[in-house]
Amino acid sequence: MDLKMADYCIIILYFLFVIGVGFVIKRKIKSSNDFLASSRTIPLWITSLAFISANLGAQEVIGMVASGAKYGIVTVHFYWVGAIFAMIFLGVYMMPFYYGSRARSVPEYLKLRFDEKTRGLNAISFAVMTVFSSGISLYALAKMLEIILKWNFDISIWIAACIVMVYIFMGGLTSAVYNEVLQFFLIVLGFSPLVIVALQDAGGWAAVKANLAPNMTHAWKYMGDKDANPLGLHFMSLIFGLGFVMSFGYWCTDFLVIQRAMIAKNMREARLTPIVAAVPKMLMPLIVVLPGIVAIALMQPALANGYKIPVDESGQLNYTMTLPSLIAHYYPSGLLGVGITALMASFMSGMAGNVTAFNAVFTFDIYQPYFVKNKSDRHYLIVGKCVTVVGILISVMTAYIAKGFNNINDFLQLVFGFVNGPLFATFLLGMFWKRTTAHGAFWGLLAGTVGAALTHGLTMAEGKGGWIAPLYEIKSGMGQAFIVALVSWIVNFFTTILVSLVTKPKSDEELKGLVYSLTEKQVDHGGPWYKRVTPVALLLLLITIILNIIFF
Amino acid sequence: MLKKFNQLSFVIGAFFAITAVILFANELLSGMAEKINLYSAAAFLAFGVFMIYLSSKEES
Repeated sequence: MDLKMADYCIIILYFLFVIGVGFVIKRKIKSSNDFLASSRTIPLWITSLAFISANLGAQEVIGMVASGAKYGIVTVHFYWVGAIFAMIFLGVYMMPFYYGSRARSVPEYLKLRFDEKTRGLNAISFAVMTVFSSGISLYALAKMLEIILKWNFDISIWIAACIVMVYIFMGGLTSAVYNEVLQFFLIVLGFSPLVIVALQDAGGWAAVKANLAPNMTHAWKYMGDKDANPLGLHFMSLIFGLGFVMSFGYWCTDFLVIQRAMIAKNMREARLTPIVAAVPKMLMPLIVVLPGIVAIALMQPALANGYKIPVDESGQLNYTMTLPSLIAHYYPSGLLGVGITALMASFMSGMAGNVTAFNAVFTFDIYQPYFVKNKSDRHYLIVGKCVTVVGILISVMTAYIAKGFNNINDFLQLVFGFVNGPLFATFLLGMFWKRTTAHGAFWGLLAGTVGAALTHGLTMAEGKGGWIAPLYEIKSGMGQAFIVALVSWIVNFFTTILVSLVTKPKSDEELKGLVYSLTEKQVDHGGPWYKRVTPVALLLLLITIILNIIFF
Repeated sequence: MLKKFNQLSFVIGAFFAITAVILFANELLSGMAEKINLYSAAAFLAFGVFMIYLSSKEES
């Protein structure tokens, strides 16, 4: 791929704008709360798009196009099963606790609901996860630019890291959130022409369907038999593994996304944030799954037009390169710059989201309670800014470690899965069963993580896992991930209940505003229906069910 | 003018409007007449102008 002057102009324009946003926001940053939590002043349309954009990192964009090509339309389950329901649940039931408790972070909620050790466990594991994720995004960006544009790996890493650092250092969370919204539009508008032109080239959806195996274009029809669908999963594993444990575990407990809802102006907008965000999330498969399916269709003899997904050293299709290869094939100079900028935006958006979540959790949940208490607000503002720089430097270091060890990404994803998988059980019990105790939550989390590691060690999929004994073979790595998550959730759930039953719970007085049965219910009357939580949530549920039926 | 940059809708609108201008200029100067570039530039321009219009409504 060769870039021309127009392409470089668009890339430079984007860099100028993201740094410019940081400069403009800088004047508004007066306190640690402004820098790390945006002082709860951000309007709904921005929090919703930032909520979705924080999740729209490179792994999402490139990964879902790759999955579309590899697994076909069943990839939409990550949206219509694995996201929408959890986002609605978060908005309707969980945001009142996160927002109403006045906690500044998810670990801080755990401190209020349980105790310091549960907060510490969650804060430390989350901080490590986010800063390493940021590094992986940085590595993937530099690697991608090295492969497709032949840019120098080191220079790409340092330029991208410096740009993200500058705009977060100046404008904190608000700057990151504003840029996430710009990145969202860039990704959607930048890739839309690609979808249209590739689909047109393939002869439309009917031609794609006619030229692919039926299990590549039906979302549910073949899920009754695990050997008949590309995921190698029975629909029950899909619904409980992805649709319940993984989905709710991510959307309802991950501070990276919840932070965007916690900065809304008021409770109603905080609750509406994930619900409004569910609208673009529902339509996202058009941008990130459809191109993958069209790409694989274009390689069928009847539709062949010269486009090919590149192969790796072993001669296998390199699905990760599906999106970059589509861009190279269809985008001329000019739009090519937009496509490359959109790719960069997705990497930088993922990185910035992780860094802002990291600096908030480190400052509020690790530094303030464990190292330096009761200092002035200015002190914590400076610490927050320093942590931003440190977080970026650790990300750069992680990117270089990833370069040296090919498997580091797989390893980290695995560890993240072990930590994140069981987390939703802790929140579910903590918010809806007042008898849940701090000891129950802590030991449940630990047991769930151990359960996840053991399950991975005893199962094998695509050559991965089975490091204790490969007792059970699973067809796909994705299927293995669902089963690991499911087991870890069950282990956490029952351990938490058992330990809670033999330990002393907090008094009702201490749990007011933190537990469903002891919290005043949110009144959602007044105003037009489209500004109210329940009607909008019900409408989205209905549309999601209809989409699943249409693509059954 | 600088105050306008406080409004995110204006920033987004300005970004896409300038991107559209670059795409149009690229077509004019290179003489490629790539339809996909022209259609995309028109769509970006329309979106950019719409966002700038929204920002002026927000302001008033």
